[in-house]
Amino acid sequence: MLRNFRVQKYHAEIIPKSTLLKVLTYVDKQEIQTPFLLMDTDRIRQNISKIGNNIPNSTVCYALKANPDAAIADLVNKEHLGFEIASGGELKILASLGVEPSRIISSNPVKSIPFLKMAAEYGVRYFAFDSFEELGKIGRYAPGSQVYVRLSVPNEGSEWPLSKKFGLEIDDALELLSCTEAKGLHPVGITFHVGSQCRNPYNWNIAIDKAKILWEKAEHKGIRLSLLNIGGGYPINYTKVVTDIETIERNIARLIAEKFPADTKIHLEPGRAVIGDAGILVSSVIGKARRRDEGWLYLDVGVFNGLMESVGGIRYTYILEATEGAEKRWTIAGPSCDSFDVIDKNVALPDPDIGALILILSSGAYTVSYASEFNGFAIPRTILI
Amino acid sequence: MVRFFENEIYSPVEHVYKVESVLYKAKSKFQEIMVIENAYFGKMLILDGIVQLTEKDEFFYHEMLTHVAMHAHPEPRRVAVIGGGDGGVVREVLKHRTVEKIYFVEIDEEVVKTSRKFFPSVCSGIDDPRVDLKVMDGADFMKDHAEGIDVIIVDSTDIIGFARSLFTEDFFRSVHGALRTDGLFVTHSESLHFHLDIVVEVQEILKEAFPVVDLYTAPIATYPGNWWTFAIGSKSPDPRALRRPFEIDTRYYDDEIHRQAFLTPKLYGKLMGKSLSW
Repeated sequence: MLRNFRVQKYHAEIIPKSTLLKVLTYVDKQEIQTPFLLMDTDRIRQNISKIGNNIPNSTVCYALKANPDAAIADLVNKEHLGFEIASGGELKILASLGVEPSRIISSNPVKSIPFLKMAAEYGVRYFAFDSFEELGKIGRYAPGSQVYVRLSVPNEGSEWPLSKKFGLEIDDALELLSCTEAKGLHPVGITFHVGSQCRNPYNWNIAIDKAKILWEKAEHKGIRLSLLNIGGGYPINYTKVVTDIETIERNIARLIAEKFPADTKIHLEPGRAVIGDAGILVSSVIGKARRRDEGWLYLDVGVFNGLMESVGGIRYTYILEATEGAEKRWTIAGPSCDSFDVIDKNVALPDPDIGALILILSSGAYTVSYASEFNGFAIPRTILI
Repeated sequence: MVRFFENEIYSPVEHVYKVESVLYKAKSKFQEIMVIENAYFGKMLILDGIVQLTEKDEFFYHEMLTHVAMHAHPEPRRVAVIGGGDGGVVREVLKHRTVEKIYFVEIDEEVVKTSRKFFPSVCSGIDDPRVDLKVMDGADFMKDHAEGIDVIIVDSTDIIGFARSLFTEDFFRSVHGALRTDGLFVTHSESLHFHLDIVVEVQEILKEAFPVVDLYTAPIATYPGNWWTFAIGSKSPDPRALRRPFEIDTRYYDDEIHRQAFLTPKLYGKLMGKSLSW
């Protein structure tokens, strides 16, 4: 059955024609049951080919939390990326794929003891920290590891800020770096995170400046660092076209070249930038209502079973199955009984029939990995196309 | 001066045409059909805001879509044209004396009517007794009605619109099933400048159904990206070679153009190895 979607000029900026063609061809099949997440494998490969290209001496570690689907992890593994993980559950996925421990790092500054034990046993050697207690844990359960300290950096301009929970100021970081040897660990570097979906390229400037100060202070104390982990944060197109990765990386590379020794190893931890825009959630309109003067659309995917990031301010672009009729303004909500389950407001879309499909673009990252089955609504399954 | 802005949403360039007059504008069951007059291109057929043909240069597209497969076949008697409601491909197919029957399968009868009214030089062949017009979905025709065909030609609108059922593996398989030994199939497959990935995608899907798949190009002034590709699938003949002498009247296509229209083996290898990017 051929379905008709209203594809418009603004969609073309968010989803490439080849991806849309694959998605439409897939949903033309009769037997589909929504919701599900389609992942364009060519797009993932294309994204991977762009990341790290412009930063010399860099290793790209996919942040598995963005979407830990085994088939995606397998694809990323075959493209020879490393992985960044934080839990035993994530390590199990990588172990099942036989990923070498040398390609795995863990940058969550606070790790559980069972995970540390498991990671150490597997052979993972790179761990982040930002507390004295964490150094103690790593020293005891993963002795001899290479550790890097998490700096606090501004997250302004990021749509998903991360700085409050983690990170140290320079002097505190320096003090902890000085304690590492005593704990039987090797202090190798510095990490920071500018915030996920970072649309302010200057956040990297401030962060790299700050890391440079710490790097030099450490050197004065006789601690020679060799690794700069610049975290993730590369943005993708949700509703607007963002600065491209090449531009961001050229800026980062210039800063690093100015401020750090030429042989500094660079770790990157992209998640969203690897898979976000390769994913399209396919959902159905399950209800429509007018409440006072507001039009409401209810979908079979919502805040709890996939679109959690909408709560933090991520807004999506939608393509609706409909051809005729003028656009109206809609509030878009998920299927659950909870009134918190509202995804978006004031969205211009045609008036769909109940049962119409709705494509939610750039929804590959931090969607199904956040999802719960609250209220009995299924988590969309991930399908690679 | 009135101007027509082409609504090709996936094109990085936007074509704008001066409009001498709007000769026709109506909505069919499937699409908006418009005919405008432009001083340089003459009459232009526009479907859903996208230019399909102009009087001035339609022969580039119609000749190149038709004659490569027709000459690669040793004796094309039965031909199916899917889409191409304007009749341009039918006109070209009829230039081959071997042809006994043409299934002319167009989903939107209004396009045929519009062409009759405004493009007599394009639709000149559609009343030929060998032409059997069937107003239906090309995918349904292939699945249920077609057999014993020598050459199948798809002349459709944009790949992501309602024509996308003509680019699926299922469709290509039914095309393969409808073809006789030595049968060939050809379809347009986007611009090599702007949509490399789709060009490769169509080649790959076609390879699921056909043992021999190849790609050739032609310059089309009014299609975004200009460097237009044609995907050709064959049951056995090498589409790069002519199996019959070139002895028809054409304006662009000829036997030498046939051979040089294909991508060089090295470039084709890079394309399919996904090592081309621009």
